[in-house]
Amino acid sequence: MGDSPDKEVVLRTNGLSKKFGRRWAAKDLNLEVHRGDVFCFLGPNGAGKSTTIRMILTLLMPTAGSIEMFGMNLHKKRSAVLSKVCGIVEKPDFYLYLSAYKNLKILGSMTRRIEKREITEALEVVGLKARAFEKVKTYSHGMKQRLGIAQALLTGPELIILDEPTAGLDPQGTKEVRELIRKLSRDREMTVFLSSHLLSEVELVATRMAVINRGELIAQGSVSDLLGKEVTGYSIDVSPLDQAVELVGKLPWVEVLSAQNGKMEVHIEPGHSSELNRFLVTHHIEVSSFSPHRTLEDFFLKITEGTSEI
Amino acid sequence: MKLFWLEIFKTFSRWRTYIGFGFIALVVILTEVVMKWSTNEIMFRMMRSLQKDFLIFGNLLNGWFVTAFIMNSLHFHIPFLITLVAGDIVSSEATSGTVRLLLIRPPSRSKIITAKYLASLFYTAAIVLFLAFMCIFLGLALFGSGDLIMNFATRFRIVFIPEAEIPVRMLLAFAAAIWSMTVVTSIAFLFSTLAENSIGPIIGTMAVVVVFFVLGNFPFDFFRTLNPYLFTTYMSFWQRFLDDPIPWQEIARSAVILGLHNIGLFLIAFVAYSRKDIKS
Repeated sequence: MGDSPDKEVVLRTNGLSKKFGRRWAAKDLNLEVHRGDVFCFLGPNGAGKSTTIRMILTLLMPTAGSIEMFGMNLHKKRSAVLSKVCGIVEKPDFYLYLSAYKNLKILGSMTRRIEKREITEALEVVGLKARAFEKVKTYSHGMKQRLGIAQALLTGPELIILDEPTAGLDPQGTKEVRELIRKLSRDREMTVFLSSHLLSEVELVATRMAVINRGELIAQGSVSDLLGKEVTGYSIDVSPLDQAVELVGKLPWVEVLSAQNGKMEVHIEPGHSSELNRFLVTHHIEVSSFSPHRTLEDFFLKITEGTSEI
Repeated sequence: MKLFWLEIFKTFSRWRTYIGFGFIALVVILTEVVMKWSTNEIMFRMMRSLQKDFLIFGNLLNGWFVTAFIMNSLHFHIPFLITLVAGDIVSSEATSGTVRLLLIRPPSRSKIITAKYLASLFYTAAIVLFLAFMCIFLGLALFGSGDLIMNFATRFRIVFIPEAEIPVRMLLAFAAAIWSMTVVTSIAFLFSTLAENSIGPIIGTMAVVVVFFVLGNFPFDFFRTLNPYLFTTYMSFWQRFLDDPIPWQEIARSAVILGLHNIGLFLIAFVAYSRKDIKS
């Protein structure tokens, strides 16, 4: 469901595998990214996300399998394929002794002739135009991340690949990068492939997703199909907390997982969430927020136990 | 060519690239000024051995002699200066993480690695030519011109080169010196492609040069048999352009052997880097 079979496939991996020594970092991955997707590659740290991205961007040679992009075999038509793709692997590192402008000039020129206007525009999109001629060594991590996106945009790629684009950013920086990703997909009709270990990030930006764990693909499909079912974990801001915990503890269909700093994490049996909200209010407990809460661990548990319909 | 010029731009945007030029300027100026101050002492030492057998007139301690004298230091400081750039040109991309931006671009790794190698060779030529420029112009300005007297002590020969022949011979000698130094460049470049930091290639290259040089200069028969197999044996072939007559065959042989070293070292670097997994 929701796999957009009518859309052009811009990236397809067939049995993609990578072995380091005796360990499979990625094993038999069959991914499909369609044009216009914001495709999130989700998995915990060490799951094999970066390894897969590095293979897609030719930094690592696959042990087995193949990669097709825009209908072309990556390793046979490398130059043609990569002229339509850009990315950031892990953190964006630049030539610190050069300005942002010079960095973009060098990196962009490796794909095609780049006009000054194009560099200025790319820097404007990410909000770095005013500091274009300052050396990158004076930039914060968030600014480098945005510069990374600017260099990815510069050559007008059809597919952007971002490896954990919000890693290490403060909340404001995270928000800006997510907005930028949505904007690229919406306004420039770019296909975005990003990896993340944050389930919340997937919900906020992605349209399709694949889940990887220990190098193996666990699930793939639309975000609504994979995440839209039966939320059972909730985070509730209540006052007074002690009284709320005591009351809720008596309900057979609720399990209190944690309670601290005015917040309760609870597990509710399906179909009882609004009932719990009513219950708290009628017992004079002030509820200031009541939000679904899913952790990656919960999600993996559900998938591997086969409790979610995938 | 575009990739080559991008590499040149990056190389000459870093201050460490200019360490070599600054160092050479300092060494040449200091050496020549000290030699100028000590002219009488130097002349006395030079003439002491020669005056027994020769009647010598004219300006022996001239700019050409000073240039040839300083060129003999090629074995030591120039290789070190070359490794600072050639040993860093690939590995620094891994250290700084820019390799991840560089190698996901359309140009193939083979083109990128070739452009970097050519940029290293360009730097090598630039540093030797700068040495030539400093030595000759400052030497001629301080000591004037004249015939060149070369004392090939190890060959028990003294050669006099007329002033008119010297510019062309010097030009050829510096071209040969560049060719010699490219072997050091190739070694440093190979190490740079294999390493993830710049210190290893710099130390590794210097270790190879020093060990080979020392092995080639041990005065024992066993080590003398090793000489033909040590690249350092052929690196001083630039001196042969200041011999008389010029031993063209020996020069050609040395140049070919050093060239084969360059080809071999670059091919290893090329293949290793083309297949390398970028994990940094």
